[in-house]
Amino acid sequence: MEFQSCFDIIGPIMVGPSSSHTAGVVSIGRFIYELLGGCPEEAEIIFYDSFAETYQGHGTDKALIGGLLGMDTDDSRIKHAVELTKQYGLCYEFSLEDSCLEYEHPNTTVVTAKRGEWIVKVGGVSLGGGLSKIFMIDDEQFDIRLSTSDDFSILAASYRPYLIKGPISEGS
Amino acid sequence: MEIRSMNELVEVCERERKTIGEVMLMMEEEKSGRDKEAIIGMMEERLIKMKEAVDSGIKDPSTAPSGISGGDAVKMHNYVKQGKALSGSYISDAMTFSLATSETNARMGVIVATPTAGAAGILPGVLFSLHKNGDTSYKELVMGLFTASMLGYVIANRSFISGAAGGCQAEVGSAAAMAAGVIVELKGGTPEQAVNATAIAMKSLLGLVCDPVAGLVEVPCIKRNVIGTSIAFSAADLSLAGVESRIPCDEVIEVMYKVGKDMPRALRETALDGLAMTETGKKVKERLFGKKS
Repeated sequence: MEFQSCFDIIGPIMVGPSSSHTAGVVSIGRFIYELLGGCPEEAEIIFYDSFAETYQGHGTDKALIGGLLGMDTDDSRIKHAVELTKQYGLCYEFSLEDSCLEYEHPNTTVVTAKRGEWIVKVGGVSLGGGLSKIFMIDDEQFDIRLSTSDDFSILAASYRPYLIKGPISEGS
Repeated sequence: MEIRSMNELVEVCERERKTIGEVMLMMEEEKSGRDKEAIIGMMEERLIKMKEAVDSGIKDPSTAPSGISGGDAVKMHNYVKQGKALSGSYISDAMTFSLATSETNARMGVIVATPTAGAAGILPGVLFSLHKNGDTSYKELVMGLFTASMLGYVIANRSFISGAAGGCQAEVGSAAAMAAGVIVELKGGTPEQAVNATAIAMKSLLGLVCDPVAGLVEVPCIKRNVIGTSIAFSAADLSLAGVESRIPCDEVIEVMYKVGKDMPRALRETALDGLAMTETGKKVKERLFGKKS
């Protein structure tokens, strides 16, 4: 029973065009933002399968970046998230792969993000209708359900102990 | 309380003497711990956002950034206003409102996913047409959204609602099926008749593939939303007339799941086959992303 609430079906209120390829992905990015306690400085993003094939048309890249910048699913700035990365100091890189070995689903992404001395690798899957799930944090399996009506800052707080300290880059 | 099937849903409704919408509301109260007024308020907010998407789409002649959609809601609206529509006012208004919402979605405007953004046009189309043509109040429309979410909840947990997972039958199919049930309930049909309409609508869309041109939620998605509203009204009419689905709703949902599982990856929102791979579809993709396929 992945869907638990009437608002998982009617909702989220979101910018288009796709609940699975846009809204659900904003949530994954936003979870990482909350996990790191703010916008990362660096992010390596892998899109798999359907995400890899259609991310441009659905604005999946804008959605993930929007989330990493701390935006919600109905934030009209998502449209311009890519242009806003400079202002927020986020450097990012995308790569595309056929299928995700860690989780079998067409809408999967793995993001490695760094903020200050913290570095984290997070696997997320968008289940449809704006509902998502974090299935991995730093190679450990998880089952963290993300519904847009949840408060991600509270949710993410309990997973902070899983953050590992990365190599301290110069100037940080 | 937990509802796992349409059968169970009808049983609970009959036992508790409640509508499908009321059962959803009761379950939400129990699961979320929020009080009834707060839950209804959240649903009202969604209805208002839907209305705003319809209102902005209906008068916006601009095209989406891709250039392959937009402006059709204005055309349809004018055509209907001139009294030319053949379908009757319920369906032709639903088609117009649905177009308006789906075009707003393609412009990256704010919409409400019902159950997904790709299928976001169908429910608002049907609901605001019921309001305009049948004096269904906003209060009743809000209850209709609870009905829709209950039906969608069962479908989503037994099968799927996204095109990437199960093809367009899971997306537009689920939305049309939900909408059919809502029409029946708002028009005074029994829970059994509502579930019956859900089954009929879903059967009509079984096997529909997800093949968006250039991966955009525009072609053919927008028009499939529009046609989805007609299927919802037809299914509701059949059910309200006393016609039954020969295959029970739970079994139809199971078939939708199996068909979706068997559907090739190329026809599940990857834009690798179907309409996306027509001569025209390929040209659009090349023009937009410069990628030869």
